[in-house]
Amino acid sequence: MAKNPKDIVLDPLSDNNPITVQMLGICSALAVTAQLNTAFIMSIAVILVVAASNTIISLMRNHIPAKIRMIVEMVVIATLVITVDQLLKAFAFEASKQLSVFVGLIITNCIVMGRAEAFAMQNPPKEAFFDGLGNGLGYSAILIIVAAFREFLGAGALFGFQVLPDSYPGNGLMVIAPGAFVVIGLIIWLQRTVTKKYEEA
Amino acid sequence: MQKDEIHTITFAAIVCLVCSLSLAGIRTVLLPIQVRNQRIDNQVNVLKALFPDFDPQGNPLSLEEQDSLFTQGRVPREWIPLYFDNFVTTKDTEAGPLYVLTRDDQTVAFAFPAEGKGLWSTVHSYIGLEPDLATIRGVTFFDHGETPGLGGECSKPWFQRNFRGQKLWADGAPVTLEVAKGRAEPNSRTQVDGMSGATITGNGIQRFMNNIFRTYNEKVFESLRAEATEGLASHG
Repeated sequence: MAKNPKDIVLDPLSDNNPITVQMLGICSALAVTAQLNTAFIMSIAVILVVAASNTIISLMRNHIPAKIRMIVEMVVIATLVITVDQLLKAFAFEASKQLSVFVGLIITNCIVMGRAEAFAMQNPPKEAFFDGLGNGLGYSAILIIVAAFREFLGAGALFGFQVLPDSYPGNGLMVIAPGAFVVIGLIIWLQRTVTKKYEEA
Repeated sequence: MQKDEIHTITFAAIVCLVCSLSLAGIRTVLLPIQVRNQRIDNQVNVLKALFPDFDPQGNPLSLEEQDSLFTQGRVPREWIPLYFDNFVTTKDTEAGPLYVLTRDDQTVAFAFPAEGKGLWSTVHSYIGLEPDLATIRGVTFFDHGETPGLGGECSKPWFQRNFRGQKLWADGAPVTLEVAKGRAEPNSRTQVDGMSGATITGNGIQRFMNNIFRTYNEKVFESLRAEATEGLASHG
């Protein structure tokens, strides 16, 4: 599976998207996508964490004792997530208040752990970095698409700016988490129809 | 002990040490900035209760009083502590802090903190009162974990503006402010529009606002009113 960096980055954007194909990280995709702003900050946080954790774990991959492999991965991921959370609290206070616990919950985001186990443990740092970047971007792409739909239909706004006239009543379903389920479901349907790739039942 | 067990323990120890040291370092460096953010956030919310149309995001400050104070019409975040220190005095009372806004030796507004349970979380708020200590001037609800779009609407301007001019005290006694289910009765001075789908958040807000007002009323406001009456009498 010798792939060049371009493929490693681009593959998770569509063909192997962590949310719509691997079905990982759905929880946070529901929680932070009511507005574009929060989805955007969350995306950056996840990209940073996956890329960095993949790189660090890949650097250590030949030294990590097999018995405590997953615990070490967890410690590295947790350290990175807490760092990001602290940085947000210092430099993006408003956003960190809106994201509240969901930044901390990146620790349990299956994408991060999944990429560490599935890719970083077997591949050199450069490839692992690109894999993390690609998966972070793939996650972000879905987050941003879902958030754009939800903010537009739910509040008639984009990035907090009112786009539709004030008389637009807002779609209550889009504001709450189940609305994200509907949007993600539609995206998955669309993607599979276009790529003709189906789960084998 | 086998060799690989020693390796495992050493490795784990090194990872833990490196991670905890770096986190401790990051925390130490960032803590002062975070504390400052927290303080500014509190001050912004006190100011919002004192000036109901104050928006730290940069919206124009519409109350006439403010125009002369905040001549730019927009207040950058960095200036907030400055404004706060210049215009607001904090008094420690038996009931808790009381923020007093004065201009030209005249008391323009009071504000006090209130907090209580909503549905999922503690809702924090500041309640601003007119100098009559009876009429609500502004309220802010912030730092809560209520459902976005339902109970979370409590931090939206429409809900907070709702409270302006409503009474917590009338005819010599506290009156109960109500968060209505749905629309408030027109012209009511003690009812505000509720948030649809958020009855429990609304009830929680109603409960803690009334309770905390009563506490302040008993411990602080009664004596302030008495002083004011005496003052008038001596000017007499």
